[in-house]
Amino acid sequence: MSRTQILDREVAQAMSALSAASKKGLGDPVLAELVMIRASQLNHCAFCLDMHLRLARKSGESQDRVQLLDAWEETEDLYSERERAALALTEAVTVLTGGVPDEVYERAAHHFGEAELAHLIGLITAINGWNRLMVSRRVPPGGYQP
Amino acid sequence: MSTQTSTENTVGYVPEHTPRMQFAQHAPEVYKAMIRLDAAARQGVDPTLYELVKIRASQLNHCAFCLDMHTKDALAAGERVERIVQLSAWEESRHFYTAKELAAIELTEAVTVLTDGFVPDEVYERAAKQFEEAELAQLIAAITVINAWNRIGVTTRMVPGHYQSGQHK
Repeated sequence: MSRTQILDREVAQAMSALSAASKKGLGDPVLAELVMIRASQLNHCAFCLDMHLRLARKSGESQDRVQLLDAWEETEDLYSERERAALALTEAVTVLTGGVPDEVYERAAHHFGEAELAHLIGLITAINGWNRLMVSRRVPPGGYQP
Repeated sequence: MSTQTSTENTVGYVPEHTPRMQFAQHAPEVYKAMIRLDAAARQGVDPTLYELVKIRASQLNHCAFCLDMHTKDALAAGERVERIVQLSAWEESRHFYTAKELAAIELTEAVTVLTDGFVPDEVYERAAKQFEEAELAQLIAAITVINAWNRIGVTTRMVPGHYQSGQHK
């Protein structure tokens, strides 16, 4: 049975506004792609992975940093402390059923100002939203052109 | 429902926590987009059903603020206490719900715990049998939106207990 590909225009526009406002406020497009790739890995979103891997490659992100993202905790020298704090927060907010532990939140708060942190949380929330919309409707990968 | 619910019968309880941050204040444009998204996603979704969906997702995501809000909203809208209480054990209390509600609740669980793996065909198909395509698309959007609020609520540790029904409508 094929799944619906309907996505209400207003929902799509509001989702885009959510992503855009979050990315703008975070002010770190390189980190934003890493966060979106990592969340999409955890949520198994094929469309989102394809899209954000392409975007990362296009923006000049190194192949190593993209390929080893799934094992970022074991690859200390590839990612900055700030990026690692953001990735740890991404994982906690994405999995969520275990809460967002104080040490994870505080580690992020140590590296990001309050406004930056709020926008990082917004971005993690937004990509989790896109992941849900795409996985639920089984939108095939490959449809996105940068 | 009143703010009294958070102050009465609380002798001996541990003190209330403070939120980690004031999210709307630090990311006003993000917050505005969330409000817009919320309004867009609820179009075409039955309000009674949507409260059940919001409560179930908030249970799975342990969002205390969201549970406070949506249980109060559901009760204010005339929802039965039993249907709210039984929601976390809906598989064992199926006769409290319609087939349509059960399909929506099951879909809610699959879309919410996405890290455990995908949205199974049988879950999707049960929902597709109960909902017309456009309605199903909106239900998916609605489940997505409560999951988004849950993420913001849990991460910023919003404080439950003070919500008054209708406050955010």
